[in-house]
Amino acid sequence: MIQLFLFAWLAGQAATSDAMRHVQAGLMARQQHNVEVEIAEFRQATEIDPSLPDAFVNLGAAYMEKRDYGVAIAPLKRALELSPDLAVAHQFLGYALLAQGYVAEAIPHLDRVGAQEALGIAQIETGQLTEAVANFTAALAKRPADPDLLYYLGHASGLLSKTAIDNLIANYPDSARAHQTLAENYYALRQMPQAEKEYLEALRLRPDLPDLHLELGQVYANSAQWPKAEAEFRAETKLQPGKAEAAYRLGAALLQQGKASDALPELKRANQLKPEMPETLYSLGKAASLAGDSATAEKAWLKVIELEKNTSLAAQAHFGLVGLYRKQGKAEQARREMQEFQKLQSTIGPPRSE
Amino acid sequence: MVRRFTRRDFLNFAAMAAAAPLFEVKPLRGIDFILQNSPTARKFLIETMPGGIALFDYNNDGLLDIFLVNGGRITESLHVPENFDRSDPRYWNRLYRQNRDGSFADVTQAAGLANAGNSNYGMGVAAGDYDNDGFPDLYVTSYGKNILYHNNGDGTFTDVTSKAGVAAGGWSVSAGFFDYDNDGHLDLFVARYMDWDADHNKICGGDWHTYCPPGVFPATACQLFHNHGDGTFEDVTERSGLTAKKGKALGVAFADYDGDGFTDIFVSNDGMQQYLFHNNGDGTFTECALESGVALTSDGKGLSGMGTVFQDYDNDGRPDVFVTVLPREIYSLYHNEGGGAFNYVSLEAGLGALTSGSSGWGAGLEDFDNDGWKDLFVAQSHVLDNVQQIDASLRYKELPLLAMNHNGHFERADSGVTTPLAARGAAFGDINNDGKIDVVISILGGPPVLLLNRYDGGNHWLSISLRGTRSNRDGYGARVSVNGQTRFATTAGGYVCANDKRLHFGLGSAEKATVEIHWPSGVKQVLNDVRSDQFLEVREPQR
Repeated sequence: MIQLFLFAWLAGQAATSDAMRHVQAGLMARQQHNVEVEIAEFRQATEIDPSLPDAFVNLGAAYMEKRDYGVAIAPLKRALELSPDLAVAHQFLGYALLAQGYVAEAIPHLDRVGAQEALGIAQIETGQLTEAVANFTAALAKRPADPDLLYYLGHASGLLSKTAIDNLIANYPDSARAHQTLAENYYALRQMPQAEKEYLEALRLRPDLPDLHLELGQVYANSAQWPKAEAEFRAETKLQPGKAEAAYRLGAALLQQGKASDALPELKRANQLKPEMPETLYSLGKAASLAGDSATAEKAWLKVIELEKNTSLAAQAHFGLVGLYRKQGKAEQARREMQEFQKLQSTIGPPRSE
Repeated sequence: MVRRFTRRDFLNFAAMAAAAPLFEVKPLRGIDFILQNSPTARKFLIETMPGGIALFDYNNDGLLDIFLVNGGRITESLHVPENFDRSDPRYWNRLYRQNRDGSFADVTQAAGLANAGNSNYGMGVAAGDYDNDGFPDLYVTSYGKNILYHNNGDGTFTDVTSKAGVAAGGWSVSAGFFDYDNDGHLDLFVARYMDWDADHNKICGGDWHTYCPPGVFPATACQLFHNHGDGTFEDVTERSGLTAKKGKALGVAFADYDGDGFTDIFVSNDGMQQYLFHNNGDGTFTECALESGVALTSDGKGLSGMGTVFQDYDNDGRPDVFVTVLPREIYSLYHNEGGGAFNYVSLEAGLGALTSGSSGWGAGLEDFDNDGWKDLFVAQSHVLDNVQQIDASLRYKELPLLAMNHNGHFERADSGVTTPLAARGAAFGDINNDGKIDVVISILGGPPVLLLNRYDGGNHWLSISLRGTRSNRDGYGARVSVNGQTRFATTAGGYVCANDKRLHFGLGSAEKATVEIHWPSGVKQVLNDVRSDQFLEVREPQR
């Protein structure tokens, strides 16, 4: 890529002097992948005509080719002294400086040529995380399937997030958000008593903050404290009646406690707020089945199967239908669903415990 | 069948809710037994499993005696052939005879039960009178060789394993006597866990360094021994069709779930589907758990099946299945719908809220408050002794679960145990003959705990001993109904334990009872106007 670019750029230059002949020889050597000859030719060109930017930029590029970034820096800088607007020299110099750890110095050169990925990497190093995220995002828009770009965007976003959280904890330790952040960390570490304590403190400070009840409910659900989980999820649904997840979690907590009739409207509501969520539909089927609403159960589980096809959730839906059809005395349909269940089990593995 | 919640039920419930703990936690006077499971850094899986208890009256003096199965000594250098140092008295199984004053005397050595063999690491125990001589015998399971002890009737036992041909081998856990062909002689079922030995042990959990889950080891088949009635048994595992179904069995329970007159077998498997072996009545069994609806949860998932109970919890006359499991699952309750079909009802019965964070082992459905409904008791503790490091929301030691049955719905109650325990086995019986069911729990690395039932709500009761004549002598397999409640006569069930063979019924306010017995021989017997609050022996009529 670099070679083609340079070749194309130089093709448009006049080759009239001895120096330019060496430059041409250097370019020929580059085509033959003979980097040592390349370097020798470009060096000779710079010695013959120390004011020829083409020679310096190509010498620098040759060193870059050889991964000798430190040595590449001087000829590239000289090229820019001779021709300050030489974009390719800015690009190579930016790369070389970045590779050598001179990040702050690299940034203006990379910025000038819009080398977004390299610029983003440099900005991570200098702590310009917002700018880095913006550059990676822009680069990803052009190359959405680039794993390196995806990695760097994730890395920069994570660091940006951490910086914000560190700032929050350090400067506003008594804020509800700081307690919420600590609670989330404890939850991730499965330290539920500590998570509970922090969420309760956050709620004491700002009882109307969205998602706090939802997250605290999940702490209780993970600790099998279902009545408490139900209370928190219910509080969240009051705060955010339009939030599908809150309705789903409340329905699931009620279902866990065997309150199928109470769970059913919540799960229906969750399904209305955010349709075609397989987990919601599966739980809806379960609650409906337990509450004796066979039609709703059947419809929900058939939808799960339509959406999921070959997943374990689809297998569960088939198994649910087995029970439903058995209860209804529909032996043939139950047998068919059992066959589908077993067929799926043979592809996704036998039924294991949680 | 769920009956109406009456005013009396309400008063009972209210009394329970306001009452003191149901049990008094008592030391077992005279019992100095410590369950030596010998945990090591090498995390041999057998270390997590022992704790068999038998509550049985070995000398027929009317008092329940206690047999406790010990593990053995395990060292870091354990290799095949393993030596568990069972000749050292610290590692003996122990028999304690109950004295008239409620204390116990160690009669292990005098009874000939010392030293179960150095190559055997003890697990569980089954109790039954396999030779119909009127004295209950013991079958002790192990990793290694199992042992059948014949009760000589004079206070001593004889190891008759070789003669009887029931050594089994491998890793046996729970076992039970039952009469699968109704010939009047108790046969023997042995639940075996997995194909494992010390040289093939593995450590899991990465840096957490802990015991491996069952999926890491190969499955194995359970074993069935047919009793010839002459002191010998025949291994009929293959012929009966059991070999075809390899599993990871920890618990076994018996009942005739489809009312065809032949006792069926439910096996709780760890980390997979459960097994229901339907007795075909011709010496063969057909595994039909999936078709019957007791193999999986309602979500189509396998269970970490540990202990199991096969009794009627909702008084509809049909035996239901209960299975204890590990956290993130729910203890499974399968309601017997009749016609060979079961329905998963854990959520409806209230077990979702009660059990999803707990690990259950030994279990029993017993009427602790004599109100006519079988309540639930589960010995709880996680498998992994370092589980709290791995998941801070879980605990290794737990309080047992006591849940009272209110018309088929279970509500938590105060067991009286205040210190979390590493509990394994739980055996149920009326230790002090006061008409209330007590519990003995085995504790890894500790002494057994007696939970003495202190319920004083004034409900009546009836305790029935069966005396088979054409059927096996203790009437195992009989279906006994008293005032609309049903029990299936067995000492098996739960995990690694043998329960009091007497059939206990709470009668509520009823002072009289109607008793209906369907003997394994096919004889049906009805007793009317039976007085409550008594221990009644019922002899099988000759027809």
